[in-house]
Amino acid sequence: MIKIDSISKEYVMGDNKLLALNNVNVSILNGEFVSIMGSSGSGKSTLMNIIGCLDVPSSGDYFFKDENISNFNANKLAELRNREIGFIFQNFNLLPRLNALENVVLPLLYSGKNQKERNNLALKALENVGLKDRIHHRPNQLSGGQQQRVSIARAIAGSPKLILADEPTGALDSKTSIEIMKILNDLNAKGITVVLVTHEDDIAKYASRIIKMKDGQIIEDKKNVPN
Amino acid sequence: MSLTDLIYLSQKSLRSNILRSVLTSLGIIIGVSSVITMISIGSGARQEVEEQIERFGSNNLILRSQSSSNRGVSMGANSINTLTLKDMEALKNELPAISAIAPRVSLSTQIIANGNNWLATVTGTTNDYFNLGNWKFELGRSFQDDELDSGSRVAIIGKTVQKNLFGTDSPIDEVIRINKVPFTVIGLLDAKGGTAWADLDDTIVVPLKTAKQRLVAKKFPGDQIRSMTINVSSSDLLFKTEKDIDTVMRKLHKISANGNPDFVIRNYAQFLNARQESSRVMSILLATVAGISLIVGGIGIMNIMLVTVTERTKEIGVCMSVGAKKRDILLQFLIESLMISLIGGLIGIGLGLGVIFGVSEYFNWKMSLDYFSLVLSFVFSSSIGIIFGFYPARKAANLNPIDALRYE
Repeated sequence: MIKIDSISKEYVMGDNKLLALNNVNVSILNGEFVSIMGSSGSGKSTLMNIIGCLDVPSSGDYFFKDENISNFNANKLAELRNREIGFIFQNFNLLPRLNALENVVLPLLYSGKNQKERNNLALKALENVGLKDRIHHRPNQLSGGQQQRVSIARAIAGSPKLILADEPTGALDSKTSIEIMKILNDLNAKGITVVLVTHEDDIAKYASRIIKMKDGQIIEDKKNVPN
Repeated sequence: MSLTDLIYLSQKSLRSNILRSVLTSLGIIIGVSSVITMISIGSGARQEVEEQIERFGSNNLILRSQSSSNRGVSMGANSINTLTLKDMEALKNELPAISAIAPRVSLSTQIIANGNNWLATVTGTTNDYFNLGNWKFELGRSFQDDELDSGSRVAIIGKTVQKNLFGTDSPIDEVIRINKVPFTVIGLLDAKGGTAWADLDDTIVVPLKTAKQRLVAKKFPGDQIRSMTINVSSSDLLFKTEKDIDTVMRKLHKISANGNPDFVIRNYAQFLNARQESSRVMSILLATVAGISLIVGGIGIMNIMLVTVTERTKEIGVCMSVGAKKRDILLQFLIESLMISLIGGLIGIGLGLGVIFGVSEYFNWKMSLDYFSLVLSFVFSSSIGIIFGFYPARKAANLNPIDALRYE
């Protein structure tokens, strides 16, 4: 599904050059559940942003479903994100003025689906995360766990093949974290590829493969048997 | 993303901060209401001038006797009628620019007919009076030469007189008594409507000779007359002729160039010009206000939109992460600024209509509202929204998704 071929990412900060990714090679297969671990500054977020087409590499090639998308322009990348990728963020990143349903509809607006279709899809996604009775609540009327479930619904509403979760449990207590990870597990069981960035061992262990990073390089890549 | 979706999202974010949105559109509100007021003042003045010309005829000067002062004591407006038919002939002969002159004597008196009575102004004159004053006949005819020459007791009446003496019945061939003298009605004049100071239709016109012999023999003895309406062949000659008349009249009445004249020349065109000029000054003033406030309003919109883009950087990042293209973001913010300016435009139109209504009621100024000004206001305010909203919108659209998402 994803092939990262000797990708480097360099940030220039004044006179200093910071090599966030140093010649990284990694492939992720269809249906995998991968955790990327590492301390802050290890390059795990940068790798995740490049996988999610939010950022472009300084050098190297990125193949998404066998297509080299390194040269895609901003609009083509936006289309790809819209169609193939769902994001889950640590701070949920819901739009405060929109209610749960409208937040979930948002990606479907950009894909140009008609109103009836997108409402059905959004309702189904909210039902999947168990929030059917909260669709008219605004984010500030929902608990952290509920907000994260809305953002999962938003990520899956357009039925993407890949879900990227950036510290999805970072702002949640441990009980809620377990609920969220169960949802991600269920999604993975339905065949969606999940890539998770975390620095917590307990969370990483939900994955079937754990990649550890340090100083912009992959230092460990091993199979994991989820508990 | 469809337009309705964009509008829906825009109104959501505008409504989340209503006070700010309204304050932002204040410049547009003032600008648009000034534009509307300006245009309607301008076109109202133009219309009024056209109507006045329609009523009183164009290129006319009115020459009237003036109370001369006798050793510093004013003798009153009607004390001496200094104008004569001889003056009229002399002016006609000396000044070729004059195409016609209608002499006039007048009195206000009781009219009795049909068992009713009515106080009206009676004018003694010639047929030129109708041509120069733009009078049209609804019924009947003007005077025949022999009626003028022999001093026949025939009268032509205005609409107001008809209404008060005969109601809606035809007055033709009816007899009316003016100052107890019976006259036969031969014509009915078309309605002209009132002005601010007089009802023009409250009039009765009789031949000059008849009036002088039977109605005003004491008031206007000999060949004295009250005034004359002088028609000048072209409007370019109006002011020159006014001066020439002054010169000729001073010569006839033996008044030195700097002495007090016993006559006054009223130039109606001058009055109209002054009226037009003052509304033009008003319009320029309002246009300046409109221009400045539209520009300031536009800058205000740009300023607030820049603030909004900065405030919502993270949101823009979120939208981009779920698949918003540059175009989607650009349109979203453009529509937001367009909506601010259009709402400002609508409120401005409302305010402008209020001002127009208030001014025309209160000052009795003629203001005409034309739809052109409404269209113009819409075009103005929407183009300001687009022009001044474009830079902030483009700034938002050009954000890098990851930078926007990371913005705190």
